[in-house]
Amino acid sequence: MSSSDIFDVLNIKQKSKSPTNGHTSVLSSSAVSRAKPQVTGMQRELFNLLGENQPPVVIQSGSNFKEKMLSTSKPSPWSFVEFKANRFVTLRHWVKGSKELIGDEPKESAYSKFNQHLSIPSFTKEEYESFMNETGNQDFLENEKNLNDSHANERVDENKNNWPFEEIIYLFKLCEKYDLRWFLIFDRYNYNESRTLEDLKEKFYHICRNYFKVSNPSNPLLSSLNFSAEKEVERKKYLQRLLSRSAAEIAEEEALIVESKKFEMAAKRTLAERESLLRLLDSPHSDQTITQYLTSQGMSQLYNTLLTDKTRKRKHDPNIPENPWMKQQQQFAQHRQLQQMGVKKSDVKESSSPKKTKRQRQEIQTALKRKSESAYAEQLLRDFNSDERKALGVITHGEKLSPGVYLRSTKLSTFKPALQNKILAILQELSLPSRPVMPSHDIVERQEELLKKINTLIDLKKHVDKYEFGRSITK
Amino acid sequence: MAPPVSKRIKTLSVSRPIIYGNTAKKMGSVKPPNAPAEHTHLWTIFVRGPQNEDVSYFIKKVVFKLHDTYPNPVRSIEAPPFELTETGWGEFDINIKVYFVDEANEKVLNFYHRLRLHPYANTTPNTSNGSEQNTPGRNANDVEVSSIYFDEIVFNEPNEEFFKILMSRPGNVLPSNKTESCVYSKQLEQEEIDRIDIGIEKVDREIHELKQKLESLIKQEAINGN
Repeated sequence: MSSSDIFDVLNIKQKSKSPTNGHTSVLSSSAVSRAKPQVTGMQRELFNLLGENQPPVVIQSGSNFKEKMLSTSKPSPWSFVEFKANRFVTLRHWVKGSKELIGDEPKESAYSKFNQHLSIPSFTKEEYESFMNETGNQDFLENEKNLNDSHANERVDENKNNWPFEEIIYLFKLCEKYDLRWFLIFDRYNYNESRTLEDLKEKFYHICRNYFKVSNPSNPLLSSLNFSAEKEVERKKYLQRLLSRSAAEIAEEEALIVESKKFEMAAKRTLAERESLLRLLDSPHSDQTITQYLTSQGMSQLYNTLLTDKTRKRKHDPNIPENPWMKQQQQFAQHRQLQQMGVKKSDVKESSSPKKTKRQRQEIQTALKRKSESAYAEQLLRDFNSDERKALGVITHGEKLSPGVYLRSTKLSTFKPALQNKILAILQELSLPSRPVMPSHDIVERQEELLKKINTLIDLKKHVDKYEFGRSITK
Repeated sequence: MAPPVSKRIKTLSVSRPIIYGNTAKKMGSVKPPNAPAEHTHLWTIFVRGPQNEDVSYFIKKVVFKLHDTYPNPVRSIEAPPFELTETGWGEFDINIKVYFVDEANEKVLNFYHRLRLHPYANTTPNTSNGSEQNTPGRNANDVEVSSIYFDEIVFNEPNEEFFKILMSRPGNVLPSNKTESCVYSKQLEQEEIDRIDIGIEKVDREIHELKQKLESLIKQEAINGN
């Protein structure tokens, strides 16, 4: 669909038609096409969509293909010249520039600066013996202990530990020659004794440590010269084992890791659920009498417990949406009340503790009000005893219920559909009707209690099932 | 004439038992002269006190809204007895609106009743909703089918004037024993309470068992964990 179609739909007359339906005025269309930069491909489609009155858009002209080689400049000269690879060898390579510019003298390669060598300590036999003895005393003591422990290995070790000075010099020479490339050193090592790679390394680092202890005892890198052959052998063994696993073993391992992660997640979840369940079991039953909360003291106590409960609950379920409008209104009302209270306070000097919040005070007030109301209701009924009250069907419930008329049976609790079905099933199991035959006050009260208990039962059952399921998995 | 505004008595409620429902009987060859030919049953829907006592001191009128296929489907009964007799062939929901006396200044009470014409083949009175009594053993043709519900109208926080009216007579009295004419009695109430209590007991037992099971499971895990 192009812009012209849209114009058509909107019944707008175009001054000049776009080229797609430009049969009418060849002149204008050609003028347009001349005025427009030559566009092709996607960009032309874009132009069609934008229509005639588009704001100026910078368009990258040209095709998407690589530009042709247009340069007419002369190619720069390259020359194949000799250079010094090292002291002994000269090689040739291509260098930019004419031969005259470079000159005949073979130069050093630009990369020769990267050809660095390690500085390996060197020493004479006397020096070696002196620094080995100086620090060796401590080592000797340590060795003594080890030797006492392992007399059996002594013989074998003796041969291994017995390094003639010549061999040590040989080792150090090799190290210098191959820049501590240990595999090369090990490969080229050809002395009387057959040594393992680890032996060579250990000896080298041991001697180096002693050497530097004497020459530079405060060097912080000294501790890094610690090399343990045994650990290295062990490490290699592990590596060997790791690399020699079969594909099946690798797959099994990965599956196990995934599985264990699942377990961890499930364990976390069940822990959280159990916590909430225990809280549920611990919390007092709500069908207790409310008389203890009717005094102002009890009221504030109840408020405090509810407050802490609320914070706990909120932590548990953080995404309870808050009505911002309500909040604002509340704040406004509180502000106004505060102002009023401020005036009152200056007069009366309220003795109540300043900790009591606005809401707490409000609740106490409503509680007091309700108390006086129920007192009034009681007073109205003071002439009737309980039997007469029953006959009259009058009750003082002392609760805040919405005024008005209703059928008793409609006030029975209902639950979420899934839960309701379960409850109905249990009621049927108990051979009780879902609606009491005679929904009188007493019966509805009992029925409510029954429903609540069934709800608890279902909840408990769910948790026990989950718990058992979790255990059966972990087994 | 607007009813006088009177203060509501807070935290107080007054209840009145009522029964509502319908009785139905198959018509034989004898039909009321104005009944359509396809109508097979004669039924009566009613709202009344459990013992047929006077309820007109708080109920002003009752409006039954019948199926739209009836002529003038909205039938208003302005005086006791609040009942309506019609003929028909099908069962449907009847909307019942109870209007209270002007002094009450209460809204309309609105509920539904499913008209019952046919006895259920396998009626088990205890598990079915409400109480439908079918006198068994008789010829199905002349059995009177009835579907009657007991309920209580609760006036929560009535105003003072209406409260005086309600207090003028003991309107919440039920007979102590079940009788043929009125099954809804203290006896039935007690029976039902007992039934529910047994249910509560059973549920309590199961809760207790589950609790112990859960605790033992937790303990076991604690042992295994350590």
